[in-house]
Amino acid sequence: MAALYNGSSGTFLPVKEGDDAMATVTFDNATRVYPGASKPSVDQLNIEIEDGEFLVLVGPSGCGKSTSLRMLAGLEEVNSGRILIGDRDVTNLSPKDRDVAMVFQNYALYPHMTVADNMGFALKIAGVDKPEIRKRVEEAAKILDLSPFLDRKPKALSGGQRQRVAMGRAIVRSPQVFLMDEPLSNLDAKLRVQTRTQIASLQRRLGVTTVYVTHDQIEAMTMGDRVAVLKDGILQQCDSPRRMYDHPANVFVAGFIGSPAMNLMEAPVTDGGVNLGGHTVPVERDAMKEAGKQVTLGVRPEDLEVAEDGQGLAVTVEVVEELGADAYIYGSTEQKLLAATGENAGEVPFIARVDGRRPPKKGALIHLTPKAGHVHVFNAESGLRIGD
Amino acid sequence: MRKRAKDRLPGFLLVLPSIILIAIFVYWLIYRNVATSLDQTVTRATKRVLNPGGLANYSKLLGDGEYQHALFNLLVLTVVFVAGTMFFGLLWAVLLEKGVKGEGFFRSVYLLPMAISFIAAGVVWRWLLSPGVGEQAVGLNQLLAMMGLERFQNGWWQSPTQFSMAAMAIPAIWQLSGYVMALFLAGFRGISEDQREAARIDGASEWQLYRHVLFPQLSPIALSALIIIGHMSMKMFDLIYAIAGQNSYKASVPATLMWTQLFAQNNPTAAAVNATILLVLVAIVVVPYLIYTSKSEKGTH
Repeated sequence: MAALYNGSSGTFLPVKEGDDAMATVTFDNATRVYPGASKPSVDQLNIEIEDGEFLVLVGPSGCGKSTSLRMLAGLEEVNSGRILIGDRDVTNLSPKDRDVAMVFQNYALYPHMTVADNMGFALKIAGVDKPEIRKRVEEAAKILDLSPFLDRKPKALSGGQRQRVAMGRAIVRSPQVFLMDEPLSNLDAKLRVQTRTQIASLQRRLGVTTVYVTHDQIEAMTMGDRVAVLKDGILQQCDSPRRMYDHPANVFVAGFIGSPAMNLMEAPVTDGGVNLGGHTVPVERDAMKEAGKQVTLGVRPEDLEVAEDGQGLAVTVEVVEELGADAYIYGSTEQKLLAATGENAGEVPFIARVDGRRPPKKGALIHLTPKAGHVHVFNAESGLRIGD
Repeated sequence: MRKRAKDRLPGFLLVLPSIILIAIFVYWLIYRNVATSLDQTVTRATKRVLNPGGLANYSKLLGDGEYQHALFNLLVLTVVFVAGTMFFGLLWAVLLEKGVKGEGFFRSVYLLPMAISFIAAGVVWRWLLSPGVGEQAVGLNQLLAMMGLERFQNGWWQSPTQFSMAAMAIPAIWQLSGYVMALFLAGFRGISEDQREAARIDGASEWQLYRHVLFPQLSPIALSALIIIGHMSMKMFDLIYAIAGQNSYKASVPATLMWTQLFAQNNPTAAAVNATILLVLVAIVVVPYLIYTSKSEKGTH
């Protein structure tokens, strides 16, 4: 739809198509099965990404997040289902026809080209004339503080600068969608935090729909408008970071999102609630109808209070981490604790946040009760969330 | 310092035999060759001056029509040989680098000719490149006839044209294309997969991907291949000897002419002059390359 712009002289100037096209992204039952694999790497993925939205795909390694991104890029075949950008079905289009730009984990800069040539390569291929390329490269370089390095080769740049060149290569094209595959994982911790904020604010400024893959849930929570958690190729939940944190849809998401992780434990159902260490935690009666005799109870470390009267879950303090304002205690309890992510299955400690000014001593026995309304109840078998 | 010298002694003793052997059989012989090339020689019976002695020996050989013919042959051979191996080597590498089925098999097939000695291959190619046409056609000419391409039958290296040495490059190309392929294949493997993906997403077609992203990164390898093949061509003796026989004027290059000078013309001084010029020609090609690679290796480490 070539929109018409009413110019100041009263003439109608055609505006380049695509500028006003809605760059939504839709995964419609998109499935990828690698040849020879028994089960799909990405299994019937359904996500609708709005125009200008920053969506983060997150999950443990092998969950299919990178594969999903590569399917959108056209680097990975879609075995069934569809992928749409705007109204365009791109399922069978080759990468070059999709109008997407990608930032790779290892940046994939062309080592034989200068920074300027790296950034301008896509435009050169598209047949844009040289002064125009130079202009757009310089604009992007200014945004990314790369102006002094335009004539250098990637080899002569630091890791952070290379990362910015990779970003610049994407920006210069002004594509419909940005794809980013763990672009920060090769940076050191400090630079990663800085760059994280820069990318998020840059994306908001440019307003380009972005799909971002990471294994780091903190990156996911801080950067995304919405976060999609994947596990074993299956979408677990797709929500805003807040919603994801407050209402994890299942045990996996509950354990994956949040640091330190949510405490998850088996708890028997009692009249009017759930039994936790001999005491009843009240839970909505309606919600409990669908539960059996046992449920999985989840409480975040910051949602626990030390009960002075000896009521609540008895926890023996093993490690105290003092962070200044807060302190985290890692302890053991008789309640059976569950590891949700499966990565560190086995012994998981019970974690609670306490007042940093007067933390309990190592070896002390304390009693903890969850704050009202801050417990998460999951079906013990299916792992799905019960109630609101 | 003394202690370090002492530490180095056992190592030095170990390499000493090879130092002595190389000193005698390479450098001393080069010296003897150069010394011989400057001799003045006079024929015993007629007292005719065969070689005037000193640098005049060089100007005499360079002015000699027979030698100029050999140099021109060498130029034709080298150009066709280098171009042919580069072309086929790159072509096969491009065909194989995408990880086709049975890649290992094809790689062996292409590399195998290199395992055959030039002499053995030469004997076969001597027959394949037989000049007979029509009823007498054998070898490649017979093959052409069977394919109905009689009009392409020719005398190969014995064709009555001054560029006939181009035919001599055919067996050489057959033998060394696989080697160049292996070099290029290693080069392709060294380029990470995500660069191809990045280029595809940047909108490059397959041709543009090769043209702008992959081939430019192979240029150091192309240079190596060029130097290796080029200097092999300059030194080539055995293949030509096996195909054309000794003392062939038609297929003579400096290396085979040297044989003729030494054994047929009984003129070791002229042969030594020829050998020295050949050594200098090869050195002009190889030495800058060796300096360049050792520099760039130091640069990367």
